[in-house]
Parts: sequence; C-alpha cells; structure tokens
Amino acid sequence: MSTITLTSSDGVDIAVERAVAERSVLIKNMLEDLGDSGEAIPIPNVNEAVLKKVIEWCDHHKNDPPSASDDDDNRRKTTDIDEWDQKFMQVDQEMLFEVILAANYLDIKALLDVGCKTVANMIKGKSPEEIRKTFNIQNDFTPEEEDQIRRENEWAEE
Amino acid sequence: MEAEQVSDSPTHPLTHSTIRLQESSFSTFSTSSTLSPSFKVDEGYSDETRSQSDKELVATENVMMLPDWVLAQSESDRAELAYSLLRSLSTSTLAGLVERINPLLHMDPVFKLPPELTFEIFSYLDAATLLNATLASRSWRTRILDSGLWKVLYINEGWRADLNAIRNFEQEHSEPLSPQTRRSRPHHSESDIGEPKHKKRVPPTWLTSRSTEGQSVIGPNGQAHPEADNEGDHHMADVNGTHMSPPGDLNILQPTSIPQLPSMLLPPLHPSLLVRRPNGTSKVNWAYLYKQRRRLEANWHQGRFKNFQLPHPMHPEEAHRECVYAIQFQGKWLVSGSRDRTLRVWDLETKRLWHRPLVGHEKSVLCLQFDPSPEQDVIISGSSDRSVIVWKFSTGQKIHRITEAHTDSVLNLKFDHRYLVTCSKDRTVKVWNRKELSVTDEDYPRVCKGGSANFPSHIIDLNEVAPSMLEAGLANSKFKSLAPYSLLMGIEGHGAAVNAMQLHGNEIVTASGDRMIKVWNVRTGACLKTLMGHEKGIACVQFDSRRIISGSNDNTVRIYDHISGAEVAVLRGHQNLVRTVQAGFGDPPGADEDLRREALEVENAFWKSQQEGVPVDLGRRALRRAGHTSNTAGSRDPRDISALGAKIPPGGGGSVWGRIVSGSYDESILIWHKDHDGVWSINHRLRQADAIANASADTLTPMARAAVSAQARQLHAQAATGPLGPAAGPSLTPVPAPAAARSERESETEGMNDVLATPLSNTQVPGPAQQVGEVAQPRQPNGQTTPQADRNAIQRQQQQLANAQMQAAQQLAAPHHHHHHHQRPRVPSPAVPTSRVFKVQFDSRKIVCASVDPRIVGWDFANDDEDIIEACPFFQSL
Repeated sequence: MSTITLTSSDGVDIAVERAVAERSVLIKNMLEDLGDSGEAIPIPNVNEAVLKKVIEWCDHHKNDPPSASDDDDNRRKTTDIDEWDQKFMQVDQEMLFEVILAANYLDIKALLDVGCKTVANMIKGKSPEEIRKTFNIQNDFTPEEEDQIRRENEWAEE
Repeated sequence: MEAEQVSDSPTHPLTHSTIRLQESSFSTFSTSSTLSPSFKVDEGYSDETRSQSDKELVATENVMMLPDWVLAQSESDRAELAYSLLRSLSTSTLAGLVERINPLLHMDPVFKLPPELTFEIFSYLDAATLLNATLASRSWRTRILDSGLWKVLYINEGWRADLNAIRNFEQEHSEPLSPQTRRSRPHHSESDIGEPKHKKRVPPTWLTSRSTEGQSVIGPNGQAHPEADNEGDHHMADVNGTHMSPPGDLNILQPTSIPQLPSMLLPPLHPSLLVRRPNGTSKVNWAYLYKQRRRLEANWHQGRFKNFQLPHPMHPEEAHRECVYAIQFQGKWLVSGSRDRTLRVWDLETKRLWHRPLVGHEKSVLCLQFDPSPEQDVIISGSSDRSVIVWKFSTGQKIHRITEAHTDSVLNLKFDHRYLVTCSKDRTVKVWNRKELSVTDEDYPRVCKGGSANFPSHIIDLNEVAPSMLEAGLANSKFKSLAPYSLLMGIEGHGAAVNAMQLHGNEIVTASGDRMIKVWNVRTGACLKTLMGHEKGIACVQFDSRRIISGSNDNTVRIYDHISGAEVAVLRGHQNLVRTVQAGFGDPPGADEDLRREALEVENAFWKSQQEGVPVDLGRRALRRAGHTSNTAGSRDPRDISALGAKIPPGGGGSVWGRIVSGSYDESILIWHKDHDGVWSINHRLRQADAIANASADTLTPMARAAVSAQARQLHAQAATGPLGPAAGPSLTPVPAPAAARSERESETEGMNDVLATPLSNTQVPGPAQQVGEVAQPRQPNGQTTPQADRNAIQRQQQQLANAQMQAAQQLAAPHHHHHHHQRPRVPSPAVPTSRVFKVQFDSRKIVCASVDPRIVGWDFANDDEDIIEACPFFQSL
C-alpha cells in the first residue's frame, strides 16, 4: 500500500493512501502522467480543513466500484443520499460549499454529486421565504414583481 | 464552457486587503471562491461574509475596530477569547447576538458557487421547485432561468426535440439584423454584464478541473449534444435593459447604496423563443420550449383542441371519393390512400391537396409509407390489387411497380433505406431490397435453410460458395447485383392473413389473424419469437425496441415486453375491433436501467406476497372468486401480475407523459394515459363525426356559415316534415351507391376483414359483403339494435348537415376555384352510416384519423395558442 503526500493550500502536508487519493481523477491523472516521484503534490485550491474532509470521504468510499456514477448523466437524477454520506454532509454551509468546490476541482464526481444533492435537498419543498432564510438571501424583488412572477409560473401547476 | 469563462481569469490581488475583519472592502466580494485559503486561516471565519448579500454586509459595517493584539492571535485563541467575552454577557444580550451572528452561518450558493455548480445543483430539482426558487432573489432567478438547465429538464421529462430543426432555426436567425430576426418576436440578448463576474469568480484551475467532465446531454435518440456554449454563462437580459442597474451579483459591488431597481425583470417575465447573444448569434431558449411543451401536454390532458379536416371545408372536391384506409404524416405533409384507388398528398398547413391524386392502383390502396426527405423522396403503397407501387413523392410520378407482389391483398408495408417489407392476406411476409444489392453487400440476405424463409433462386447462399469462388463469380459477372425491389425472401409462418407489421432495425414484427405476433430477423427470415395473448385476430402492431403494442378483434390493446415476450398490460375500453394503435411511452434518457429496476421491484413484491401467503398466483378466475377484481392495465399489485421475468414493469413503464391512441370499429378513438398509480386509463374518447362538425364550423367564413345555417334550417324543416332523402339538398348529385360501384368487382376484401375471415376469430363485425350492404340499407348489427339505430339516424342527420355545409361552402367558393376534376365534386355519401376508424397517427401536437368517411380529420391540441404553435416545430412526439 503506497502512500503519497498532498500539500494543502495553507502549506500543510497530509499523507494519504494512494488508492484513496486516486478517487480524485485530477490526482490520479497527475500520478499517471508524472509518475510517483515521492514528492508532495500541491493542492493549491483546497485548504487543510477541507482537504481532510475530502480525504475522509475518499477513504470511506475507496472500495466503491469505479465509475459507479460516471454514466449517470444519462439517468434521471434522484436526490437520494446514502446514510453515511448524509451524516458526512452535516456540516456548516461554508464547509459544504467548500467541499463542493474542492470535489469539483479535484474531479471527484461522486462527492460532487453528494454535495449538490445535499444543497438541492435544502431547496426542495421550501417556500421562497424559507429558501431566503436558509441561505441568507435578501429579497430584492418588489411585491409587484413577486406577484407577476408567481402568476407567470402558474403554467407549471396544471 | 468553463474554458471560455475562465480563460483570462485574474488571480485577484485584492484578497490581501481583506485580512482585517473590520475592513469592509467589498470589491473583494467577487473573489470569494478563488480566495486563497491561507488568508482564511489568518483572519478567521468572518471573512466569509464577503460572499453574503447586502443586508448582512450592512450589518458587518458596524463592527468596531479590533485592537492589533487581538488580531495577532491565532484563530483558536481568538475563538477562546470570543467565547469568554460571550460568557460574560447576559442571556438576553447573548440571544440578540445569536440572532445577529446566525445569518453569518448561512450563505447563498448562488454567490458562493460558480454557475456550472449551481447548474449541477438545480439539475436535481423539478420544474415546479425551480420556478418557486426563482422567487428567492434576482440572482437566483437569473441562474435558474438558464436555457441549458431547462434543456436537461426537457430531456429528462422524456420529451423529444428536433435538434436539427433547432440548429437550422438558430443559424437562420443568427445573421446579425437579418430581416427574419427583426420580424420575429421580441429578442433578448444575453447581458454581457454576467460574463466578467464569472471570470472573476471562477479560478483558472476550473479550466483543468472541469475539462474532463464534458457536460453533454444525451437525448433520447442517443445523440450527444455538447452544452458548451449555452449553459452557465447564459444570462438572458433584455437588450433594452442594459442601461439599467444590473441584477444579481454586481449589486454586491456597491453594497453601500442598495440599488433601487426599476420594476423590470431580467430575464424578462415571459421567456421568448430566441435569445440573442452579444455576438449576433441566436439560441433557442429551452426555458421557453419547456414551458410551451408543458402547456401543450396540459391541453392533451384536459382535452383542449381545435379540429381540422382534409380537405379544407371550402374545397370538398379535393376529398377522396371513398373511405380512407391509410394515412401517414410527417412535417407539413400527409399522404392518404383510399378505397377510391388513389393516393393523395396533402399540405397540412393549407389543408389542401398538394398535387393531383396518384392514380395507378386498380383496387383499394390499403397501406403506404412515405419519406419526403430529398434523399429519399418516395412514397410506397400497397393495394388489394396485390401490387406495390413506388412513387416519387415530390412529383407524384410512378417509379416502379411490383405487379404480383403477393398472391392476395397487400395489407401492410414498411421500408427503411435498405429494405421494403410487405405482408399480405396470403399469409406471407416478403422482403425486397430498396437499392441495388451485390452479393458482398452487408444487407445481402443470409440464407438460412430449414427455417421459415423461402429464398428465390436468384439469391445466392453464401454458405455454399467458397470465398475464392465468390471472387471469381463477381469478376466474371456470374453473381449479378440485384436490381432495386428484387424479392429477397418470402417468410411463411403465420396461419392466417398477416394484417400488420413493423420494421425496426433488423427486426420485423408481424401481427396476424392467427392471434399471434411474431418477430423475425430481416436478413435471415428466422423467427425469433412468438407472442401470444390476444383472444382473436390481431389488426395492428407497433414496436419501439422495448415493447410491442397490438390491437385486436378481441377489442383490447395489449402491451408486451419485447425481450421476454411477457404480456405487461391489457387495455380494455373499445367495444369493437381495435384497428389502429400508436403508443409513446416518453422514455427519459437511461430508461432501460430504470425499467429493469422497476420490473425487478414488482417481481420482488410478488415473491414477497407469495411468501407471506397472499394468494397471488391463483389465476384470475380464482382471484375473482376471492373478491379481487384484477386490473391488467398496468397495476403493480402482486395479485395483478400475470407474467414474471419481464424486463419492463406492468403497463410498460415510461414517463408520466406516456400516451396511447387507439382507433376502433366502435367508431371511437381513445386517448389513454397513465393515472397516478401508473395504470393506463381512458383520458378522452374522440369521435370522428364530432370532429367533422367542429372542423367545418371553425373554418368557414362568417358568410359561408350564414349560408350553411340557412341550409341547415331548411334541412331541419324538411326533416320535420318528411323523410330524409337525396332531394334534401337541391343541387346534391346523387352519389352512385358504393355498393353498386363495388358489385362489379369481385368480392374484394379490405384490410382488416382478414382478421375476421380467419377460422380462429369469431366474426362479430360485418364482413365485406355486409359492410357494403350497410351502405344501402340501415344497419342492424351486433344486437344493439335500438341505440344503434338511433345513433344511425342521428348520424344521418349530421351527415345531411355536413353535406349542406359543404355545398354551401362549394357554392361560395365556386367562382374562385378552378376545377381540375371532370366530375362534379362529390360529397360523401349520406348513406354511409359509420365512422369506423381505420388509421390514427399522432405527434406531439395532433391526432389525425382516417375512417369510413372520405374526409380525414384531425385534433390539434395546440388549440390555436400562438406561443405553443411557435414552439411546435421543435417538438417531437413521445
């Protein structure tokens, strides 16, 4: 079991099992292209806290069948998330969004999906006011505009 | 697409200015996601407020300066300090603080995440949820009303779109300031305001990170279309609106003055078909297409339509002389084939005959298929004269005739670019080549001895020719190429007339009066499977690669799983032979896996019930005795499962938009849809006679209508005083009774009579002789004497009315019209008592129906709605 080192954006070295790190297509390609020189791989866009969180996810999912979700662009999407992932995503919103950004940057499709589903589930079933509250959004519509938009949207209700 | 957005993305030096908590340097807001994390560690949590909206920013402005020694502490030390400070406060002060701090823990994903990631998030949500979320804020609305997002939604509904038509339309409208662009509906350019924002927000590294993930969407047709240029950076702002304060993120750059936005929405309140981009190109707006498709589907569901007829009511002389057995339409063209021996090509836009009727068959035209594309430009028709004729679509010219294609009526035919397949009352199926075919051609038949196929002597058995011989044979022209429309094989295997067929890829599906459906290989003629279930002869069949749908003289429509052959649904609703059926299941992309999973779930539920002792496998009769009324139209109740091992669930699966349209000798057309439990149920029952009445009423000019109603009054007066007769209309030429015309011919059997003629089917429906008889005398069929007789009487009256209308229209139109027929225009015989349905076809917008009535009628569910009509050219059927 080979181990590699990742350097977070804030300069912290983190040792990680190569198989775990290779859940990231970015890292996997990098290792394939450059070979494992034993040098630390800089991850300039992800700080230590987020990187550790991402590695935690990769470690839990290291035995998942590869590309299990790679072809799901062709599938109707459900927002079901398995229990472990749900717990994993119970973090503050900053961490949630940072994990999404990191998963995207590191090209970890399954983690990106879990993150996006989590946010989607935070929107589902909420009134506009509840959505605003959830994400601290200021309502910048006038009441007339809101009314107009509501009426315009009625076609989706039939 | 990411490449475009980030190509010149700056690494923003401004991040340095945000080290201090109290500095509200809002110019750094746009960089939140690119923020180098090293700064976060130094300055702590609060700098995340930079991604927040105005309200909260205003609040942070009031934060007082912290002494340098505090700022010098590490984050954890500052946290401890803050905690100690908080502990020193009273509970009520603390509660107030929590209130103040709480918003800092919530942040707006639309600001925090780049468009391609909110796109991912939104793509998990349905249309209603998304539209609701547009009310959150202007920036949310802008991100959600993204054309690319609605394209995904559209495709995932299982709706199909004509991507070629869209591409052509976009190109046509992309020339800057072309006359067309100016003429069409309001256009809205994308605001270029949006672009710099994305460039700043997305770090250069997205370029590499996203490039491996091409976001292409696969349509149901399996074609991938890159989304490269119409998602993410897609902001549809009105051209006129660019002078106004921009919505969304940019406001954040001037948080101190909360902008007074004028009451104008960007994107505009109502989506438009085209989105104009700053570079002069135009793109079709999928948000618009989605909306109009949804509204169109609602019209289907609610039964809102306008009727039309062919010919146009003002031109009754263009109509077929007798009943219409076959129709097909595609784009603006419809081709019909009639008992009057002709084919006619109609322009669906004008409802007029396009060129002179195609004359060539010596008896009824029973089946046809056409392809108007310039590469094909062909109509092929089959007749009860046993022949097949190939016509040039654009000119109506006869190209080729297969005189004795079969030894009896050609009941159905289908072709693709390789083969023509015909089926006949003579119980055989025949395969012909469309193009010159050499022995080495991939499409050349593979002789398979001892099978169901007979190969004519000119077909070489490649198994018996050594490769060297083959080459020699080709070289010395011993093996000649086959001329187009040579017989490749005759397939025998059905015990009765082969009434209907489909050609799909390399498979032929046939339906016969022997109650069986068979699947054959088109190159070997081998029978691949036989499906059973219908209790009488089968009249029609359709195949979509997953399911086979058939209609029968047992009055049912059945759905079979193609793979396992299992019967997955029986639709009961017609009272007579089901002559024609079309189904659209609306499979979304990736449907195979979903279907399999659903089928498996149903099967597991069945086994589970069985284990629990529920009497699931007693058969229907026993279940009925046990008090369970079985539902066979798609119920997933374990007790209703009649076949296991299917790869599709009961009912056949598909999206909620799935639709089946069936036409019957009971004179009705049924539109089936799936109810909440996924069970097929009747959504609407349509009648040809109603459509005729509506179509003439809707299309006549006021003057014509006045004349018609005057005649109608006269007619009613006559009806009240005396018997109805040919004299009812003064100038009505008595039409020679079809019976008389027909008697010269030997007992010609038409289309589905073969279903009835088979020994296996109990004849319920009048045969040809009876049918002809009906023309002359009132019908007394089926033991339904009284209501039927009443209805016939009513229908006769309606017919008289319709005739009067036609006459009126004719009289009005006469001065303008140049007749190209020698005969007087004939109107449908008032004596024809039925509107038995022979053929229906539907697309995304309309149903067209051919029946005993020479007039072809249609139901247009666009219902005269301009917006829907504008979007329709881009829609395809389910």
